[in-house]
Amino acid sequence: MARITIDDVTKRFGDEEESIVAVDDVSLDIRDGEFIVFVGPSGSGKSTLMRIVAGLETQTEGDIHIGDDLVNQLGPRARDIAMVFQNYALYPNMTVEENMSFGLKMSTDMSDDEIEEAVTSAAEMMDIDMLLDDRPGELSGGQQQRVALGRAIVRDPNVFLMDEPLSNLDAKLRAEMRTEINRLQNDLDVTTLYVTHDQTEAMTMGDRLVVLNYGELQQVGTPLECFYRPANQFVAGFLGSPSMNFFEGAVEGGTLRADGFDFDLTEQMQSAVGSRNELVLGIRPEDMTLHDRANSGHEFEAVVDVVEPMGSISYVYLQARSQSHDQTFIVETDGQRPISEGQHVYVEIPDEDVHLFDPASGETIHQRQLGEDAELALEEQMKPAE
Amino acid sequence: MATTDGDSATASQRLDKDTRETLVTAVRHTILLTWSFIVLFPLYWLASMSLKPPGTANSLPPDWIFLPTVYNYIQLFQDSGFVEAFANSLIMVSASVVLVLLIGVPAAYVLSRYDIPMERDVLVWILSSRMLPPIAVVLPFFIIFRELNLFDTRIGMVLMYVSINLSLVVWVMKAFFDGIPETLEEAARVDGATQFQGFRKVVLPAAKPGIFSVAIISFIFAWIELLFGLVLTSFEAVPVTLFVYSFIGSRSIEWGMLAAASTAMIVPVVIFLIAVNKYLAAGLSFGVVIKE
Repeated sequence: MARITIDDVTKRFGDEEESIVAVDDVSLDIRDGEFIVFVGPSGSGKSTLMRIVAGLETQTEGDIHIGDDLVNQLGPRARDIAMVFQNYALYPNMTVEENMSFGLKMSTDMSDDEIEEAVTSAAEMMDIDMLLDDRPGELSGGQQQRVALGRAIVRDPNVFLMDEPLSNLDAKLRAEMRTEINRLQNDLDVTTLYVTHDQTEAMTMGDRLVVLNYGELQQVGTPLECFYRPANQFVAGFLGSPSMNFFEGAVEGGTLRADGFDFDLTEQMQSAVGSRNELVLGIRPEDMTLHDRANSGHEFEAVVDVVEPMGSISYVYLQARSQSHDQTFIVETDGQRPISEGQHVYVEIPDEDVHLFDPASGETIHQRQLGEDAELALEEQMKPAE
Repeated sequence: MATTDGDSATASQRLDKDTRETLVTAVRHTILLTWSFIVLFPLYWLASMSLKPPGTANSLPPDWIFLPTVYNYIQLFQDSGFVEAFANSLIMVSASVVLVLLIGVPAAYVLSRYDIPMERDVLVWILSSRMLPPIAVVLPFFIIFRELNLFDTRIGMVLMYVSINLSLVVWVMKAFFDGIPETLEEAARVDGATQFQGFRKVVLPAAKPGIFSVAIISFIFAWIELLFGLVLTSFEAVPVTLFVYSFIGSRSIEWGMLAAASTAMIVPVVIFLIAVNKYLAAGLSFGVVIKE
């Protein structure tokens, strides 16, 4: 087991002049036994960063430490890591048993008996002991996934690297394997880096999230911290499904004039906004409420565009009635609430759930409020652990 | 009553369906049988000619029923020239296949996996060796071979066969390696293998169907080669094709011997095909390679 330190790592692809920056000056401290999830859209550099840690790519600048060793010059075989690939990368010509023992044969002096024992126990752990004589081509996607995990576990490595390991599975299997990987990581307590573009995986799996975009680090924090205290508009929009709604507008004497409605800024918000003339208001679909009639000052009228019933809840796509541009936002409502397309409703934006962002930098200038208990719990999480 | 009517209606429908299926099967079999007949008839003709007594091989109308004799084969194998040419070809062609794989497979791997400057041009350059008809290059080859003392040597013929097949091996194997995900080698490297071990233990076995496919095609191309054998050999390195050709004289053709020699020529190819058949099937389906 080991901690991993990533120090000012930059990776450029291509020639000096026409190079593409895949990872831009990223620094990160990963604690021993921690489960870290790299999350971001495609092209965010998350896979490249993991491949740099694996030794499959060499960084253009910066240092990587695994444990106490500087590993910049070391190839993957010297780093004592195990990796699970998106396409599983099982050796097609070998049986499951040979697949699992290959790494031990290559990297250790273990005797054949010891290897067999290790493979059998890892196979039992992954519930694939009856597949040991099969070849990968004969297995289903889920089984291949288990074998790929088993092949990583049997190595007993310092670090697990998982590159979108669940993205080729169907939804049900994915949910199952998510729990399984969580359980495994808890049991084995091995430092794990996990790459995903799926924000559900990111929220449910990691001890901490590393949110990346265009190769730049956006935020590092616990899932709830990133969700409730996003560092910027990108993180706020990326985490959560459906995404947070954003409304741009101009500030005029304590009021945000957005397209289609006005929003009165609280005193606290006004002091955070300072002298800015422009703002972006962010609010999650589940925090907005719909009313049939206006009953307080904060509502504005909107027309229902599309309704997506999900069962217990519905996603309602709305357009502000008096807007001048075509902009749709989403509100989550009770699934039992009767609502239909073309209907006029009143939308309420509660003050306490509003985030404010700087439109130029995207930086968060005002965070939403949380209940007292939630606030305490979050503060506890945000304390730097030692 | 209605029920009975309904039942009989379904029954007749079922009968119709059965008849249709039988009909389709019959048509399908007829087409396949006709095709097999067209393909196999020349082979049958060749084999039957080789088994006919001397003088009757090419008689018209053909003797459909005759007493088969192995006379032609006995004659053939008593001729040391044939045995020598047959052995020559076996040795030269086999050696050329081994050599062309040793050169072509790693070349294809490198072209598939590494960023080679002007990769496209290199590939076209390799293919360009096959762009001229052999007859256009046979004279230059003759002069080069004479200068380098390769004329009428087995080594010369092996090199000749390699040059014929190299572009095929490189192109087909490059496509094959392109289809093997690079993550396999990365997984092997993470598992502690060196790059070369990754190639040898993971990629090469995965590429086996492709390798056997190009091996058998290279073998056949070299085995049936006549023109270069005709120009570049005289006594020592005569390939079996040239020997077979020698049965066609200026005044007469020894049909029986020609047929026997040709039939004998098919045997090594068939044996090779049967030996690697398992991999050829896999090579066509790509079934063992992991789905991306």
